[in-house]
Amino acid sequence: MSLNSIVCIKSVVLSAPDGVGRRTPQNSDLNPFDRPALEAALRIKASLGGSVTALTMGPAVSIEALAEAQAMGVDGAVLINDPSLAGSDTLVTSRVLAAAIGRLTPYGFVFFGTRSADSDTGQVGPQTAALLGVPFVSGVKQMQPASDDWDITRRMDEWEEVWRVRLPAAVSIHPMAFSPRPIPLAGIAQAHDHMKVQSWSLADLGLPADRVGLAGSPTRVANLKKVKRQRTCRMLDGEPREQVEALVAYLGTKGLMGS
Amino acid sequence: MSTPFLNPKHRLLRRTVRAFCEKELRPIAGQIDQEARFPWEVVEKMARLGYFGIQAPVDLGGAGLDAVSYAVIIEEVSRVSAAIGLCLSVHNSVALYPIVAFGTPEQHRRWVPDLAGGKKIGAFCLTEPNVGSDAGAVAATAVPTPDGWLVNANKVFVTNGGIADICLVFARTDPSAGRKGISVIVAERGSKGFVVGDLEDLCGMRANPVSSIRLYDCTVPKDNLLGSPGQGLAIGMAALDTGRIGIAAQALGIAQACLEEGVRYANQRQQFGVLLARHQAIQMMIADMATQVEASRMMVYRAAALKDQGMPVGLAAAQAKLFASEAACTVSDLAVQIHGGYGYSKAYAVERYYRDARVTRIYEGTSEVHRLVIAREVLNG
Repeated sequence: MSLNSIVCIKSVVLSAPDGVGRRTPQNSDLNPFDRPALEAALRIKASLGGSVTALTMGPAVSIEALAEAQAMGVDGAVLINDPSLAGSDTLVTSRVLAAAIGRLTPYGFVFFGTRSADSDTGQVGPQTAALLGVPFVSGVKQMQPASDDWDITRRMDEWEEVWRVRLPAAVSIHPMAFSPRPIPLAGIAQAHDHMKVQSWSLADLGLPADRVGLAGSPTRVANLKKVKRQRTCRMLDGEPREQVEALVAYLGTKGLMGS
Repeated sequence: MSTPFLNPKHRLLRRTVRAFCEKELRPIAGQIDQEARFPWEVVEKMARLGYFGIQAPVDLGGAGLDAVSYAVIIEEVSRVSAAIGLCLSVHNSVALYPIVAFGTPEQHRRWVPDLAGGKKIGAFCLTEPNVGSDAGAVAATAVPTPDGWLVNANKVFVTNGGIADICLVFARTDPSAGRKGISVIVAERGSKGFVVGDLEDLCGMRANPVSSIRLYDCTVPKDNLLGSPGQGLAIGMAALDTGRIGIAAQALGIAQACLEEGVRYANQRQQFGVLLARHQAIQMMIADMATQVEASRMMVYRAAALKDQGMPVGLAAAQAKLFASEAACTVSDLAVQIHGGYGYSKAYAVERYYRDARVTRIYEGTSEVHRLVIAREVLNG
């Protein structure tokens, strides 16, 4: 059994811009939450065969995120880049990705990171799955073939659930679950010297311009400003044991520590 | 930092190497310095990822990267552990590179895959107790016999000496030919008469097992001559042209680390009720450090870029090595000064950087020799 996987990745902005930021290679990087998703897909390929394709929608600088995916070992890379995509919200992003995935059939799994490090919505994975009409499991830590189906373990705070799904399906990978492989230097040379990125425009996807970008987006960012978090210092009184108990109780009520 | 010399490949390399070094080397960098221990557990991972064959051809097991990539990698590794940066620089540029450049196809097959894969470590054995800057005065001898070369050599301050398997030994094959009578013989650890001396107890770069290597009536196969008889110093100088880019990149990495630590400390330490960073005296130091680092970076990348374009690189590499190593000493000195008494303590990393920086002005050609090389080029055009 061989399996073709698609990993949706994003080139994220490293530092929060004031207002609308210009994307440069220096302030962009592959979304760190996408690396475990690439790793999960590559491990399935290593055990079952098949192929892994990295897919991204974004400005031209996103090609550097695809190159990193290639250096990790993916077989193909697709960049969806079109001027009319500027201003797309998560729904449009999902619509565009779903249209692109429709061109990459047949596939078994579509992988996502749980969220992006810059906009942090976690919406694109589940929305894309809904548009494709395929099952979606989030926060996945393990994937096992089970006869015709797959057993997918998802992890929450102190729980694990196992879902049995039939392919094709979509998953988002828990950030702690699949430790991404270190990239070999030869992979970097290979990825750049033999770059094989397919570039698709809206026309290739058959999507009209008014369904994408700002025009097609039901939401838009009205304002963006930096927030300075207030830091407070609270002194604990009493003997060390009492101080520790007070600290543990406080962290428990804040949900930062299990009870 | 942004620089016009880097393309997307170099940027990905920098991020990748930095992430690896922060994860694997940073936690142990101070400890391996104090214990003077070579960290095989990390080095083996680096070997599998291609760090020991950075510029070696892909079909011989190398990563097939260019010289700018090489400089970026050495800079980033040295930013965290200069001693490991040194191991890579010497292995890649003065052991592996000459074999790739001057070796026969048969020699390539014998040595390059093992070296590029880090299964074997390389060393460059030129310096002797009485032969330093005066490389032409080599006293080691290699006498042709029916069984091969009979080599006698006392080589000192051999970087990687304690772990090296494949050593490029500079020895006199024609006693009457002066500088033209020196050849490079490749000696392998384990040969009869091949002795690794005690490790040096050094001021800096302590995680690198620098040792002497002595060959006592060591018989080396005839085919282990690299290049032709008498070509030794020419091979050595070609290797050092490349090596200088590596050492310059190493000095740059140390200086970059010093700048980062200086900035970090200036932004957390308060004196007279305000952060150090608010004191103009400290600002002057930070400005000088940042400028020296950036100037070094431009010179190092320029030399590497010239090499990638096939341009003559001797002058640019010598200038980069001279400038970057002097800058590393200045910048590490300022980093210690910003830290005050703490900077003189092993509790802070700048103490190690200060010790590590010093030798970059000495090895692979002293600053003074580099000035001679530069003056000769400039005066004679």
